[in-house]
Amino acid sequence: MAHNVLLYESNRIMLGTLSNVIKSAPNCNLVASYQSHTDALGQGKVFNPNLLLIDVESQDATWLITEFRKAFPSAIIICMGERWQADSASHLVQAGASGYIIKPFSAVELKDTIDTFAKGGGLETSCKVMTFFSPKGKSGKTTLIANLAMSLARKTNEPVGIIDADLQFGDMAVFFNLNPSNTIVEAARDADFLAPVSLQSFFVPVTDNVSVLCGTRNPSLIDRVAIKDFETVVNSARSLFKYLLIDVPAGFNPTSISAAEIADVTYLVAMNNDGFEKQHIRKAISLFEEDWPDVKDRLKVVFTRVEPYGAEKSSELENQLGFPMEGILPNEYMLVSKAADNGRMALDIASDSRLSDAISHLADKIIRHQVRRDTL
Amino acid sequence: MAEENLINGVVITFFSTASAVGKTLISVNMASELAREGYSVCLLDMDLQFGDVSNYLKLNPIYTMADIQRMMQAENSDFKIYEFLTEYEHRGVAFHVLPAPLQLSEAYNIEPEIVESMVRDLQRYYDYIIVDTTSMFSTLNMRLLDLSTIVTFLGIVDFIPTIKNMKIGNDTLRSLGYDSNKIRLVLNRSDAKSQISRADVENLLEERFYHILPNDFRSASTSIKTGVPLVLSPDDSELARALRSLVSLYTNKPVEYESIAEPGDISEEKSGGWLSKLFN
Ligand SMILES: Nc1ncnc2c1ncn2[C@@H]1O[C@H](COP(=O)(O)OP(=O)(O)OP(=O)(O)O)[C@@H](O)[C@H]1O
Ligand SMILES: Nc1ncnc2c1ncn2[C@@H]1O[C@H](COP(=O)(O)OP(=O)(O)OP(=O)(O)O)[C@@H](O)[C@H]1O
Ligand SMILES: [Mg+2]
Ligand SMILES: [Mg+2]
Repeated sequence: MAHNVLLYESNRIMLGTLSNVIKSAPNCNLVASYQSHTDALGQGKVFNPNLLLIDVESQDATWLITEFRKAFPSAIIICMGERWQADSASHLVQAGASGYIIKPFSAVELKDTIDTFAKGGGLETSCKVMTFFSPKGKSGKTTLIANLAMSLARKTNEPVGIIDADLQFGDMAVFFNLNPSNTIVEAARDADFLAPVSLQSFFVPVTDNVSVLCGTRNPSLIDRVAIKDFETVVNSARSLFKYLLIDVPAGFNPTSISAAEIADVTYLVAMNNDGFEKQHIRKAISLFEEDWPDVKDRLKVVFTRVEPYGAEKSSELENQLGFPMEGILPNEYMLVSKAADNGRMALDIASDSRLSDAISHLADKIIRHQVRRDTL
Repeated sequence: MAEENLINGVVITFFSTASAVGKTLISVNMASELAREGYSVCLLDMDLQFGDVSNYLKLNPIYTMADIQRMMQAENSDFKIYEFLTEYEHRGVAFHVLPAPLQLSEAYNIEPEIVESMVRDLQRYYDYIIVDTTSMFSTLNMRLLDLSTIVTFLGIVDFIPTIKNMKIGNDTLRSLGYDSNKIRLVLNRSDAKSQISRADVENLLEERFYHILPNDFRSASTSIKTGVPLVLSPDDSELARALRSLVSLYTNKPVEYESIAEPGDISEEKSGGWLSKLFN
């Protein structure tokens, strides 16, 4: 379908630049361009545009989008700005915008943006961000995240993102057998200037609905991911996914703390090895308890490799910890190791395994909670 | 013990780039074996947040690194570090432990410079300082690596992500410019269940393992449960023997036990197989 584009841009020079870009973009006819929003609102209708590109930095953005939405009820509205502002994004979406693009843009960037938003993939307004935290490493959390992401996407058909912020030894790329050219390092570098669509291109798709922002390629790159940029990336990614899962380094460190603070829910993950992991988890819980008055809503505990696997063991662990158990995963060492060695998901290799059941159960809990939140 | 040496003691650090590879278990045993052989030994728990040394030895320390840091910062000239260490003793074999802080907030506030002074101070009093660490290239760990006489870089072969991290870790360590004998690549849990062969790993690392420790889950977990290190336990497991022979390699004492490390089977061919796809 050809796009009949109306352009509103308050800066005269930018108006000229963008007009030329739009004229050269595939599938785009520039039907009208205005430097004044009142002209655009009043006269634009004559040309029957179906795609509006609106400068949101000259006026009160929410008001402006509301007015354009009223005047052009069925057109796709894409906001234009010089930098992406995650905090106002959801207001713009609620007012009727479907997307955002950073200007100036190229014809290719415009096409990618339109393609993303025109096929109905608008910006997400309610994303559930989940951080997976473990006191010590080898807790089974990367396995959990990868399989849980697949399960959430299959059950809901919604877009699911994974961010590998285990900044020195992130394994997610190996789990999915990816060799990405862009990673969290590049995303953080460009964080301030990235609209969600451009950020999307840093995520590597692994299925129709699941994509991964991979970790650093070597440990020294950790210094290139500043915490504030990491936070910007997470906030932008909220607009792209319904569920966003974050893998972080073990223990309390700037990355894991910031990811836990920014998340809607933090999962504390430990592997049940009959060592001192319960003690470590209790120690971690008490620190979160000191900081978060709403700790019971924000913090969930998951134990992996639990045997005997069942409700009895789960409540035993619950009693020992004095904290509710959100879920347990059974011991499936050979299954998960083989899966990761071959870049496949345990869920796919053995969809009828106890592990798949356990993951599915956890996914259902997350979905139920999210649906309740969305309908409030 | 704790008499001032005229020479500085040897610092042996256990490091890895994956967790749960046996750093704590092996450092505890190294300290015990050296003590059993009559050396004065201090074991440092540098896993500040979730250290397991006191857990594995069932110690209830009164002073931890947090207290010692406070005392050192106070710059009291009468301060003697060894007076604030915790002793581990089993059937006449004893060594000292400098435990990790008890509180997470204390752990977060330990300063690498002070740790460096602690190690230097301890070197004056002990033949051997054994250092247990965490699996990352943190400022603290880098400093400890610099300070060490020997770094034991431990790995296990379970699945590919771990091997990838071992390769990255080994390459990074080699890039730090240490003398070639300083870093010693040791494989733990060698015959654990895995699809990956030791030879594949050695090909990838372009290096042979310096020593190999067998997998013995039962002995390892019994030792942790009872708080008695394997090398001090009366049942002489294969793992205990392999640990002792690692120690003898470090002390250059005649090998009492035959090393169980068979020469790695490195083929002439470079690994062009499936592991190399990770690192092209
Ligand atoms: N449910 C499970 N049962 C048995 N073994 C498991 C289970 N989940 C994971 N493992 C095994 O535990 C090890 C660590 O798994 P994983 O990499 O997912 O943990 P992690 O917490 O992300 O570790 P890291 O600290 O290295 O990032 C792997 O060998 C994996 O195969
Ligand atoms: N050779 C071995 N055979 C069997 N089990 C072992 C062996 N070495 C260590 N283990 C077991 O592996 C687990 C991890 O060991 P340990 O705590 O020493 O590792 P670590 O490297 O210090 O881990 P972390 O990074 O989490 O501190 C323990 O349960 C221990 O009993
Ligand atoms: Mg991981
Ligand atoms: Mg340890």
